[in-house]
Amino acid sequence: MPEAQLSNDGKAPFPPRFQRPGWLSTALFALFLGFFLWSLAGAGMSIRELVNGLPNIATIAGEMFPPSTDRAGPIMAAILVTFQMALVGTVIGVILSIPMALLAGRNTSPHPLVRHVARSIISFLRTVPDLAWALFFVVSVGLGPFAGTLTIIVDTIGFCGRFFAEAMEEVDPGPSEALDSIGTSPLDRIAVVQIPGALPSMINTSLFSLEKAVRSSVVLGLVGAGGIGAELAASMEMFRYDQAAYIILMIFILVYAVEHLSSRLRERLMHQSQ
Amino acid sequence: MTSLASPLLQQPVFSEPSTVSSLQVQGLTKRFQGTTAPVFRNVCFNIYKGQSVALIGANGAGKSTLLRCCVRLIEPDEGNILLSGETLSSKRGRELKRARNRVGFVFQKHCLVPRLSALTNVLHGNLAHRSGPRNWSQCWARQADRDRALHYLDLVGLADLWHKRCDQLSGGQAQRVAIARALMQEPSILFADEPTASLDPKSGQVIMELFARLSRAQNLTLFFVSHHVDHALHYADRIIGLRDSELQLDAASGTENTVSLRGFYA
Repeated sequence: MPEAQLSNDGKAPFPPRFQRPGWLSTALFALFLGFFLWSLAGAGMSIRELVNGLPNIATIAGEMFPPSTDRAGPIMAAILVTFQMALVGTVIGVILSIPMALLAGRNTSPHPLVRHVARSIISFLRTVPDLAWALFFVVSVGLGPFAGTLTIIVDTIGFCGRFFAEAMEEVDPGPSEALDSIGTSPLDRIAVVQIPGALPSMINTSLFSLEKAVRSSVVLGLVGAGGIGAELAASMEMFRYDQAAYIILMIFILVYAVEHLSSRLRERLMHQSQ
Repeated sequence: MTSLASPLLQQPVFSEPSTVSSLQVQGLTKRFQGTTAPVFRNVCFNIYKGQSVALIGANGAGKSTLLRCCVRLIEPDEGNILLSGETLSSKRGRELKRARNRVGFVFQKHCLVPRLSALTNVLHGNLAHRSGPRNWSQCWARQADRDRALHYLDLVGLADLWHKRCDQLSGGQAQRVAIARALMQEPSILFADEPTASLDPKSGQVIMELFARLSRAQNLTLFFVSHHVDHALHYADRIIGLRDSELQLDAASGTENTVSLRGFYA
């Protein structure tokens, strides 16, 4: 235990400002620092290459302005498809997440074995990256937005399934006990206690999921799963940086609009009652 | 509709003892795992229809556990429970649920669903008898059930606040909604586990007065746990007391006084 120092008047002792870390903390910190320095080399961090690349960055950035609107029509159509993929994928994904979450929740699952299996499926869907799912679905159902939508559905189940289950587990058990005491069925208790109790968190998660899906659907196009990503890849490959700038600007407006609308919607829904 | 919530501060009129038993508890014993001493042992009492009975005892005496054991929300280790003459101890699954739906329960904390309106929370009392979406929300409920729910809200003096979310109600109002929910169930016996513990003295008195009036008006059997000796003396026909794991008191409230009952909290 660290020694307490005496205050200036020599009367009341007061505690030291800092405590000496234990040997285990010091060793772990040294280990982390060593690994981080090694990772800098592994990640290819190079100041020299960055400096050498600065003229290229300036050239490309210069060619991006002013953004070109000569393909505005097809680009806007692709932006719309991107949003439609995200919306349909998220809505279907959220709907499918609810039964998955009920099976995975500690206080809603019918059996521990069912809970374990449901949690494992949700973890698997979440841990496989969306690009890997997109490649899988492109091969399975062909190029186009359907593959992207399937990817978003699977990604949403992985994301929402986990958070919905946790939200239901955190609901105050009091109302559930009150209804249990009068002999209500488990389905009734889930419908009137668990889901309304978890609803604020579920709405939040669903709207975050929509924002995430919009961002993700932009990237999915790069592997042929439909949407604006394919247009962006084509513009970059044809060195049409001015067109790429227009696409990036449209993507920014889409993502910003979805985030803004979702936060407004979240506020409205939070204050409604039945 | 006439509200029974006011005037509130009148002397309750105790009912004449009935001979029909509402709740019979025979030799009830409960031990929790990892403890040698039982919470209570060999507890026997009989509550008659229309009677109002207070259960008193110090913290940790096992009052709430006893109340929960009476409907097997906590399983007793030994003993027998008869609810309106029907043995509860041997029932399982749906039979047990069916038996429980005649018992209204009001908890220390109101245990309402916070985001839902007062009317929807009252409607949930109907789930004791009828399952399904029409009793999940007042939006989809049958008109007759909505009318009944509103009637019980009126009985507890809150018909005007039917649309309010329960997390926007005061503690006393929320407890009254919980009572309305229990009444919606049309129970034959109403259990209340320290219903005034989280309320200020005035709100607590209002709630107890409400219990006494409803119990009289609807010939409802009332079994409540209280830390307030005054409430036990004033609102119960009979008082039973737990001390040292045993039922050491079972007497008409008129024969007891504040000083004698304070011994249960020593």
